[in-house]
Amino acid sequence: MINLYHKYSDIVKPFFGVVLIFFACILLSPNTSSGTNIFLKIENLTNILRQISEIGIISIGMTVVIIAAGIDLSVGSILALAATITAFGLMDWRLGLIITILLALLAGGVSGFLSGVISAWGKMQSFIATLAMMTAARGFALFISNSNSRNIGFGINSAPDSFKIFTEQVLGIPFPIYIFVFTTLVFAVLISRTTFGRYIYAVGSNETAARLAGVRVKWVKVFTFVIAGFLSALAGIIHAAQLQQGNPNDGVGFELDAIAAVVIGGTSLMGGKGTIAGTFAGVLIIGLLSNILGLHGIQKDFQLMLKGGIIVLAVFIQGKEFSFLKR
Amino acid sequence: MLKFVNISKSYGRIEVLHNINFEVREGRITALIGANGAGKSTLMKILSGSVLDHSGAIELDGRTLRFNSVRDAVNAGVSIVHQELNIIPDLTVGENLFLGREPLTKLGLIDYKKLNGEASNILAEFDFPFSPDTKAGKLGVGWQQVLEIARALAVESKIIILDEPTSALSSSEIKILFDKMNRLKEKGIIIFFITHRLQEVFEAADDVVVLRDGCFISEYIVQNAEREVLINDMIGKAISPVRKREPIYSNENILKLDKVTVYKQNKAILHSISFEIKPGEIFGLSGLMGSGKFELLKFIFGDSVDRWEGDLYLFGNKYNPSSASRSVKNKVFYLSSSRKDEGILPDQSILHNSSISALKEFSTNTIIDNKSESSAVLKMNEKLNIHFSSLFQEASTLSGGNQQKVLLGRALLINPKLLLLGEPTRGIDVGAKEEIYYQLRKISQNGISIIISSSDVNELLDNCGRVTVLSQGRQTGVFSTAETTSEEILRHSFKEVS
Repeated sequence: MINLYHKYSDIVKPFFGVVLIFFACILLSPNTSSGTNIFLKIENLTNILRQISEIGIISIGMTVVIIAAGIDLSVGSILALAATITAFGLMDWRLGLIITILLALLAGGVSGFLSGVISAWGKMQSFIATLAMMTAARGFALFISNSNSRNIGFGINSAPDSFKIFTEQVLGIPFPIYIFVFTTLVFAVLISRTTFGRYIYAVGSNETAARLAGVRVKWVKVFTFVIAGFLSALAGIIHAAQLQQGNPNDGVGFELDAIAAVVIGGTSLMGGKGTIAGTFAGVLIIGLLSNILGLHGIQKDFQLMLKGGIIVLAVFIQGKEFSFLKR
Repeated sequence: MLKFVNISKSYGRIEVLHNINFEVREGRITALIGANGAGKSTLMKILSGSVLDHSGAIELDGRTLRFNSVRDAVNAGVSIVHQELNIIPDLTVGENLFLGREPLTKLGLIDYKKLNGEASNILAEFDFPFSPDTKAGKLGVGWQQVLEIARALAVESKIIILDEPTSALSSSEIKILFDKMNRLKEKGIIIFFITHRLQEVFEAADDVVVLRDGCFISEYIVQNAEREVLINDMIGKAISPVRKREPIYSNENILKLDKVTVYKQNKAILHSISFEIKPGEIFGLSGLMGSGKFELLKFIFGDSVDRWEGDLYLFGNKYNPSSASRSVKNKVFYLSSSRKDEGILPDQSILHNSSISALKEFSTNTIIDNKSESSAVLKMNEKLNIHFSSLFQEASTLSGGNQQKVLLGRALLINPKLLLLGEPTRGIDVGAKEEIYYQLRKISQNGISIIISSSDVNELLDNCGRVTVLSQGRQTGVFSTAETTSEEILRHSFKEVS
């Protein structure tokens, strides 16, 4: 049992927080006139999940980078770039759905690749390399869009109807939620069950030791940034579909939201420690809190202040050992 | 007159200095010599207040000195110039000189006029050729060393300790340094000079004190000292029993170096090294600090080398050791002498630490088979007699000996053909040491070749078939351990090569 706790303690703590906040939300939720709990309504719950899908997908990529002791500031810009490419690909360049999506994902992957190569081979801190990419990717998005957002319309000479899949419900659940959950599962397996996952932890834990153990540290680092870029682009496509437009100015500050979710999920910014499941929980915690505050009509300003407090509190709790969880 | 009276120092149950008694006089340079681990640095750290809780007393002109901190020692006039330079390259010469005690103007700003003026006066004594507003980073290492000494002096020192000041200097820079030391002693200051090079003792010192294994051995006036006597004092009449093991002779070579010269930042750090390793042989690399023995191991492994010349053969084929990952793929594994910084993955489990290099063996299409992984690691841990409570325990919670065995297990899991080990028993207690060597002998019987670089000569003699000695990046001999003594090895370690 103690072994199991050791193995899973990193995951147990954030999910304990999710459960706690979930019940708090039920208690604090306003009721409809007929007396039903608004928070617990299916529409509200799926709405929460739909709203966190974008930032959730980005946070998964961020987790991978942070476990390898890096950081990626360019995720918000890459989201905007991918959203812009999606809108222009469908509406102006007439590339069709598949090619457009592939192009957007490619843009994200290449951006991540460049950040990774600059940081690994250029021996530059990833903070700096991705800060540069954050600026450059935003610039590139503004360049291809001529600094205008592009609306996505449907019908003849417009976007194909198949693009609507991103906003539709499948079995009563919005499609982006499937993408988020699927991404979470894939990367949870990648990080905990594959050789590559082990190398990421090794690099984040002690880079020199990993190199001397035969790990190709530079390539591992590059790959983490490719993942982050790719997933940011995926979130960008969903973003374009939800808003039905590609806006080169969107996604500002997303990198900080993602880092917050990762940190709340128990991943150490020093690298070597953390889980995808933890990040999933971190994203849920932020989503639940925003939702319950929204239901009470609490304004954005107060929400932000509270969020700041929650980050500090969550990380503070992460550092504590809970004796009652051990047995 | 500075007197050391019955100085002893223990860490836990281990006594590292035993009843040291000697005295030195003002206005003389006293060289302090001895092999690695003789206690030179510990003794000087006690004198300069950074090692506390010793027994015995230090008396200066009849008064007992007792420090509770480095600051205490500095205030009492004892300064130490460490081997590593503490110059801040981005500050000017003057700023470095007055770091922490800058003269201020009435407004509380730094009074640069006064600072640079006083700095010029101090530095003039040293014939310092740079102005005080030069950035310290522009100075050569020799002048930086002089600046350090000037800084030590600026606080009115009575005792100055120089810990291996010459290890980073070129011969012309050493001349400058010795010249300054001579001027200092004319002021009646006591100077301690720790060195590994006997030649420098004869060039620079007036008196010489020899320590060995934490004991005071002898003190001579340099004029009356003989080189051979000093060496004998340093290494002792170590009675090394004759070893019966004959080196294995086989035509096959696992590794062969032929006149290999290695450069780092365009400076040759290893010169014309040649030797060969046979299957199942345990080969020793001996030498003092800075002899190049660790650099040689790292070079063979292919980690961090700029350029090299000569021929290297691995398993009979020409090989260019270009990267660590390539060497691991070729079944060559290296364990660094700094286990904590370059070996253990600190927040990872024992399981993950052990299997990291051999993951490919436990996976299909990169998916790891947890069962075969943990059963292989468990088997290895049992074989190496590692004490642990759970495979999921963080490796950094293990004792030093067990950590080293985990790393040895990591190496063995790739089925290596050549192991390169830097100080495999550093910081490990005696029992675990024996066990590690027992394991190494067992490994070698399976045909795995091992190169061990160690500063413990007796350990090498007990476990290796042959030992090569390095001094200042050059090979000073290859010996069969059946026919050599620790004395001979050390004699060659101290050999001056030009």
